[in-house]
Amino acid sequence: MNRKLKLLALFVGAAIVGHVGLVMAVPHAIMNVAMNRISGDGARINQFSFGPRTTKDSRGVVRPSPDLAYASCVYDLSKGPLLVSAAPSPNQGYVSLSVFAANTDNIAALDTTQYPQGIRFVLARKGQPVPAGVQVVESPSDKGIILDRRLAPTAELFAEIDQARRADSCAPLAQS
Amino acid sequence: MSGKLVTTGVLIAGLVAGAASGWYTLQRGMVQGEVYSGWSGSKVTGSVDADPWTRARVAVSGLLALNKSQAIYFSRNTDDSGARLREDCRYRVTGGVLTARWWSITVYAADNYLPLNDDDALSFDQTEAQPDGKSEWTGILSPIRPDGQPWASTSKAGNYDITLRLYQPTPQAQADYAAIPMPKVTKLDCGGAA
Repeated sequence: MNRKLKLLALFVGAAIVGHVGLVMAVPHAIMNVAMNRISGDGARINQFSFGPRTTKDSRGVVRPSPDLAYASCVYDLSKGPLLVSAAPSPNQGYVSLSVFAANTDNIAALDTTQYPQGIRFVLARKGQPVPAGVQVVESPSDKGIILDRRLAPTAELFAEIDQARRADSCAPLAQS
Repeated sequence: MSGKLVTTGVLIAGLVAGAASGWYTLQRGMVQGEVYSGWSGSKVTGSVDADPWTRARVAVSGLLALNKSQAIYFSRNTDDSGARLREDCRYRVTGGVLTARWWSITVYAADNYLPLNDDDALSFDQTEAQPDGKSEWTGILSPIRPDGQPWASTSKAGNYDITLRLYQPTPQAQADYAAIPMPKVTKLDCGGAA
């Protein structure tokens, strides 16, 4: 192979590595930025933060829905599993808890249609000890985000559900 | 120029070109994937089965999207004639019974955030858009508030797109996106012309 062909092959190989490397890295990098924003640079880990009503100024995460109220918990399972729970909304409106791994995958989504009395599960890494008889969600990563979404298209509904969601819990199992 | 320097330069140029092409592919936003009556959606959004490109695209323009068992997302930036949605135009959005527990339609600016207007009308949803005698609902996309109709303001939206969210879609909708009766988007007029 002459030198020009070798350089061309090197360029193409490097371009493939650059393309795939960026595509693989972007979800983790963006998730890290989101986790830092939501947790106040790590000050609020394993606890829910309750967002205000979504407006034009909501810039924490792309494409927020103005019809939903959001509460979020940045989780860290490195010291053990968490017990996660959410009470239903007073008007029986839509409520879901969704779990996102560090690569952005939505690994679980539970809602109050399935669990009208409220959602409750243990979030753990594979192999971590968990109590018997409790629903378990296994995370493929130590860190990620749990999101509470509630239907609240008006200011009045938002005020109603804001009270209910304050009972949400995202805490180490040992403390629960 | 030494041979080693040339080799290093070609290596760096390849890496930069590859990364740039990767970033470019992620900038096409949510309006890509399979198209259903003008609306784009992907069955693997949020899913552990998503390919790396879909996962990265969702991270850029739809972070924390749910998988289809909980919500299905469709987006579009054109009307039913294929013309680009324009901030200064008025559009009528019409649809029938959507196969989900709840739905909404929201306007997003090109930066993937809500438009920076003070209209307090960033979306309309199932609770506002009540069906008429033919089980058909209507909403309006426009920069100026219409009389007595569900409205999503496009004021200061620039090159915007709209997203249809279907929460708790039926099993049939999850299995076959083509069976979902997608809303129509019809241009009424532009620039205030009636």
